[in-house]
Amino acid sequence: MEFLGGRGFNSRRLYEEVPEGVTALSSENKLMFATGPLVGTAFPLGARFNVSAKSPLTGILGDSNAGGHFAAEMKFAGYDQIIVEGKSPKPCLVSVQEQEVQIRDAEHLMGKDVYETTETIRKDQADPHVQVATVGPAAENLVLYAGIFANCVRPAARTGMGTVMASKNLKAIVLRGTGSINIADSDSFWKIAEEVERETYAHPQYGPRREMGTTRILSLADKLGFLPTRHFTSATFEHAAEVSGERLAREYNVKNRACFSCIVPCSRIYMIRHGDYAGLHGEGPEYEALSSFTARVGNANLNLALKAVDLTNKLGLDAITTAECIAWAMELYEKGELTKKETGGLKLKWGNEEAILGLIEKIAYRDGFGDLLADGVKKAAEKLGKGREIAFHVKGLELIQADPRGLKGYGLGYAVSSRGADHLRSEPFLELSDDPDKGLKMFGIREATQRLAHEGKGKLIRYCENWCAVIDSLEICKNLAENMELLPFDRAAEITKAATGFPFTADTMFEIGERIVNLERAYLVRQGITRKDDYLPTRFLKDPLPDGNSKGSLFEIEPMLDEYYTERGWDSNGVPKAEKLRKTHLEYVIQDLKRTAVSEKLRKKV
Amino acid sequence: MKKILVNGDRCSGCRMCELTCSFKHEKGFRPSVSRITVLKEDGLGFDLPVICWHCNHCKPAESCPTKALQRNAEGLICINEEKCTGCGNCTKSCPSGAIKLHPNKRIPLLCDQCGGRPLCIEKCPTKALTYKETRKQEPKSPNRVLEETSRRWRVTG
Repeated sequence: MEFLGGRGFNSRRLYEEVPEGVTALSSENKLMFATGPLVGTAFPLGARFNVSAKSPLTGILGDSNAGGHFAAEMKFAGYDQIIVEGKSPKPCLVSVQEQEVQIRDAEHLMGKDVYETTETIRKDQADPHVQVATVGPAAENLVLYAGIFANCVRPAARTGMGTVMASKNLKAIVLRGTGSINIADSDSFWKIAEEVERETYAHPQYGPRREMGTTRILSLADKLGFLPTRHFTSATFEHAAEVSGERLAREYNVKNRACFSCIVPCSRIYMIRHGDYAGLHGEGPEYEALSSFTARVGNANLNLALKAVDLTNKLGLDAITTAECIAWAMELYEKGELTKKETGGLKLKWGNEEAILGLIEKIAYRDGFGDLLADGVKKAAEKLGKGREIAFHVKGLELIQADPRGLKGYGLGYAVSSRGADHLRSEPFLELSDDPDKGLKMFGIREATQRLAHEGKGKLIRYCENWCAVIDSLEICKNLAENMELLPFDRAAEITKAATGFPFTADTMFEIGERIVNLERAYLVRQGITRKDDYLPTRFLKDPLPDGNSKGSLFEIEPMLDEYYTERGWDSNGVPKAEKLRKTHLEYVIQDLKRTAVSEKLRKKV
Repeated sequence: MKKILVNGDRCSGCRMCELTCSFKHEKGFRPSVSRITVLKEDGLGFDLPVICWHCNHCKPAESCPTKALQRNAEGLICINEEKCTGCGNCTKSCPSGAIKLHPNKRIPLLCDQCGGRPLCIEKCPTKALTYKETRKQEPKSPNRVLEETSRRWRVTG
């Protein structure tokens, strides 16, 4: 009731069981998989899971979320949460079949890529219905941003959860369940589910999402001027049409796929029919990965981008972080600050095929220059002793594919997100409407839903963060529940009440979101994270956008942080006030934060 | 007679059919007891719902040692639970692999077409399932569909 499930469960347990002294790759770290109360039912908005642990990339809260069919199988096997503790002396996999949990030898899977591992396990088990979550070679080589991959191409890739898994010598988790998910009030359940179904099919985004998934954003980002191009040196890409979601849909699509219990089959099977890499066939990509290996690294060759995404999936890397590391090195190289000698002979020119594919491999195997990049852009810049001001991360996590100067709400979201620079903690898509009436109605301020305005974004982000925390804890799809506005707080309460029988209301749902966000913030504050860590890289604060429809725009962070902290009931340093913590039933956190504050003061005196 | 026809190219693999089927017949969301099962091949991106076709020559019925599988008045293969010993012979002899046993009761789960209005078809989001009159005697085996799809989709390797 207090934390709903999924991300809420994980964050609560992480707060309790993985305190500040634990380092990410030690055996004391705990890796948690959790799914939510609607997963496994026919509620038509997908079925997801969160993986959480202390992050090896950022050193703070690590957390990532994935779709596919793994989460539902967890429920059918009878589990809401699976916790991996300690460390195996040799490579192993964990097999869960209902009550039977086995730790098996996985020596024969070591070094195998994500696809091979998944296929081998399915063959070994002689059961095509087992669900597999696995790590690739990148994780085995302890690249700090390796992901955990379900159904081959469904990664929980951010913040290095795969690295934590591999550090425990765990190659895969294999699930099979035959149990039943029963519903408390099935009449209400079906009534709401059918309402959602009707609205989904009638939604203006239903068609485009089926056709293009999230890749439809690339053209939009280019048009509105927030497409990170050549490492955020430009906000429009002259080759956008050639690498767009529209072109993928037109020339590459084979069929559509969906996650478990989702009625919007937004995932696409593609095939390269002509040109470079003809014959390559796979699933995806989504906007983040597509934009990663096109605009961000200055590449206009769509076939090459598909090859690069396929390679990051196979090797088990986070595409966003990988692309930032490559683009960062490319910018340095293009400016003449990095030489061929330092890169091991690679010419890091924008869009250079050999450089892009070569670096992905070198990162995954920690080979040569790739070894430097394998620790993420923050540490790479520190080690290299240059490029610190253009290492685009917040709290050690690399920025996603939207320039914050062209989307102020998103920018604030990156700054304050509990896992570092990421949009999925808040996803304030409402500002893309640029509709002042919406802002006035929802937040009492017109600018809240205008993307280039700074005002009202504290209110917007607080609201959206609470919303995302609820959706992540119910473990359904944010694209549908949030972006398509199919699951506002009142409906989230109704459906969860129908499914579980517990008396949720819109207010208690909002409060749960509030509680999760505050607890995660407390987790960070306990480790010394405060306002000083809630900043964006200086390029966004000092250099106006050079081109496109957001030209001239800058990011003014101070007033936005002030407004956000006030909205949250945090002090001007970004620390939750005792009163706020009491209100959200987080009394146990108050003492911890007092202790942190005292030790901070002592540290400063010394 | 009317049959549930399957188009794998349209199937998104969401398994809504399994969920609605199990809910309708067993009052819970439980794919392991649904009469329809989606076969998946993630590497290829292939999804294929498999369901009893009620073939004219039903091999499982012919080979059932206790003759527990019988054809009813509507032409549908159904199970006589009293006669069934749960030997699982039927699951192996069906060329489509369309029969699975209830994990607890150990009796075969067979599609009854929901009495003429199959719910899986109503709930299929991509119209991969249709309910139509057909003269075809038996369906293509899933393995053959997989092989053909694999050939069609891959330019190389």
